[in-house]
Amino acid sequence: MMPNQLIDLNRQLELNKEKILTLWFEAAISSYPEDTARLLGKSKNRFDNPVGNITRQSLEDTFDNIIRMSLAENYKDYTNSKHSQTNKEHVGQNRVENSLDPVIRIRAVQNFSASQAVAFVFELKAIVKSVLGKLPDESFNYRVDLVALAAFNRFMKCRENIFLLKATEAKRRVHSAFERAGLVTELTEDELLGSSKS
Amino acid sequence: MSDELKPDALLDRIDYTPAAGSWMDSTVQIMPGMYCYAAKAESVETLGLPNARTWNPLEDDWKLPENWQEIIHNAIKERLEKFRTFKVFMDICVRCGACADKCHFFLGTGDPKNMPVLRAELLRSVYRNDFTKAAQILKMIPGGEKLSGGRPMTLDVLKEWWYYFFQCTECRRCSVFCPYGIDTAEITIMAREIFNLLGLNIDWIATPVSNCYKTGNHLGIQPHAFKDMLEFFAEDIEEITGVNVEPQFNKKGADILFITPSGDVFADPGTYTCQGYLILFKYLKDKYGLDVTWSTYASEGGNFGFFTSHETMKRLNSKMYAEARRLGVKWILGGECGHMWRVIHQYMDTMNGPADFLEEPVNPITGTKFENAKSTKMVHITEFTADLIKHGKLELDKSRNANRIMTFHDSCNTSRGMGLLEEPRYVIQNVCDNFFEMPPNTIREQTFCCGSGSGLNAGENIELRMAGGLPRANAVKYVHEKFGVNTLGTICAIDRAALSTLMEYWVPEVQVYGIHELVGNALILPGEKERETDLRLEPLPGMEDEDE
Repeated sequence: MMPNQLIDLNRQLELNKEKILTLWFEAAISSYPEDTARLLGKSKNRFDNPVGNITRQSLEDTFDNIIRMSLAENYKDYTNSKHSQTNKEHVGQNRVENSLDPVIRIRAVQNFSASQAVAFVFELKAIVKSVLGKLPDESFNYRVDLVALAAFNRFMKCRENIFLLKATEAKRRVHSAFERAGLVTELTEDELLGSSKS
Repeated sequence: MSDELKPDALLDRIDYTPAAGSWMDSTVQIMPGMYCYAAKAESVETLGLPNARTWNPLEDDWKLPENWQEIIHNAIKERLEKFRTFKVFMDICVRCGACADKCHFFLGTGDPKNMPVLRAELLRSVYRNDFTKAAQILKMIPGGEKLSGGRPMTLDVLKEWWYYFFQCTECRRCSVFCPYGIDTAEITIMAREIFNLLGLNIDWIATPVSNCYKTGNHLGIQPHAFKDMLEFFAEDIEEITGVNVEPQFNKKGADILFITPSGDVFADPGTYTCQGYLILFKYLKDKYGLDVTWSTYASEGGNFGFFTSHETMKRLNSKMYAEARRLGVKWILGGECGHMWRVIHQYMDTMNGPADFLEEPVNPITGTKFENAKSTKMVHITEFTADLIKHGKLELDKSRNANRIMTFHDSCNTSRGMGLLEEPRYVIQNVCDNFFEMPPNTIREQTFCCGSGSGLNAGENIELRMAGGLPRANAVKYVHEKFGVNTLGTICAIDRAALSTLMEYWVPEVQVYGIHELVGNALILPGEKERETDLRLEPLPGMEDEDE
């Protein structure tokens, strides 16, 4: 795509941001049962309705990052070995992953399968097409694919986080107190928690 | 929902497609991460509760007694007659929906059956079918059964009850918003009593209860280990302060018997709170001659019997008064705990009292009468410490907590269950300079549960706990980002354990502290050396570079 076409597409996305975000948010919360989705879409108070509001904010931040994505970011950033990535590309991926974190972190503990947890990302393709009409080329869909890959990454990190908490919680709570008191002499806490620090 | 019934909006949105089916018809799917393991047979046996056996909630056959439906029917009947509240709560709900989005488990999991109204309806539908005249008449006409909102008790219904009544922490936030004052926690309590008649408890409740019944505390720690642990804390404290705090055990004729949840003695970070108690008692002994004793028998303030049945709660609770009588103390002081206080404040006096062999609690140092504890004879330690501070009886060095930027989590049971709102805040603000409240709709009476209360703090249901704790964590995250809060204070042993894990998942920058840990850090013991570290053996503010 020519640079001016890219600028044009980004401008279109910017201009239609509210409309796109509303549809994207609706698509994301429609993954919940109907009665739940209705309530998630209702209260704007971020403390009375944490899932609804965090989801909305996380989608908005991600959308902003999609607009900011450069053409240099491509699938290879994910498929190539780490050594081939430039710092700049790293930053781009991290930015997207961080903006997805709040929504994915929630979905990772809500009994969604991995695919259900990240499926909302792909909905963005159809939504943007319906709002903007025909897109100049495939570059937007391509960006959404990159976001989906970032979402998978983040989902896995959250699940690993959960498994680690599950494995070490009881040991940290009771075992370490006993250990300090010299009532048990097995693995040290550092040894048990070694994997969390890597 | 109540505020959605606006005529125009309603007419505009009439959808003529038939509904996908009633919630009543669906079969429950017990999902990993959301349920707790079944009670071990031996733990059920210890207590002499029925139907002790090995069973697995994921298997089709729950190995129920043959007449299980009859047992449930009779159990509901008995409880409707015995508990007026239960009868009223079964009848008066108008399904306005005010409670629907107030439950942390609904907000976190997004499962509509965790709306308090619908969770209660799981039981109400059977009540209607079995016990109301309307349902009995309507049943006579074809299709009438559905009109009454009733349904017969089937195995699927039982499994659904079990799944969802163990996704309620009995926190009572929903009841704050109910215009009729329906206490959904009481409905959960009844359901759990019924489960125990069928041998359907979870192990994270049954085994602690069994341990407590056998050895006096949930962890099953024997008296000598209990003593060892406290003496080990005393050594640590001596290392930090240069003062031997000399805990006393089972001392007859002491002024006060102190009872705290065993989590404070055996599980981090409660152990540091425990050290705070020891420092306080030493201070009061040296300065004012107050004689406080621990008991290695009444070595548990918590009471998981409360999550089993009223009778089991009574059995476990009775040791507190029995030990106070045996030791001949004046009154009982209780540590930082949540549900322990609900049991003490709302049940103990009528269950195992009157404790007329004890004195009406008066703080001998300040002369303050604890009117609220006149009948139970048991005072919460933050009431006691707040009173001491108010009368200028404690010498405190706030600067030792200068690196703590605090917020406070109201535990459900102490805030909604006994109205203990100001005292912990008062103590915090006197031992620490940096205190920021979370938003009003997440604290005090409206506080959000930790997501792990009422016996649900197990490992296998961690997804449920993380989801249920989201509304709380979300508010902590807000004050962390806005004010740089790095410490979440709490006065509950379950909170200290549960919130630590919750923070690690949602807001890893925030650590969990008991209030008396902060008191222990700030309190200046007579004859102490210059302290270099706090109770966690981390350098005190300003001491960070001393070693370099």
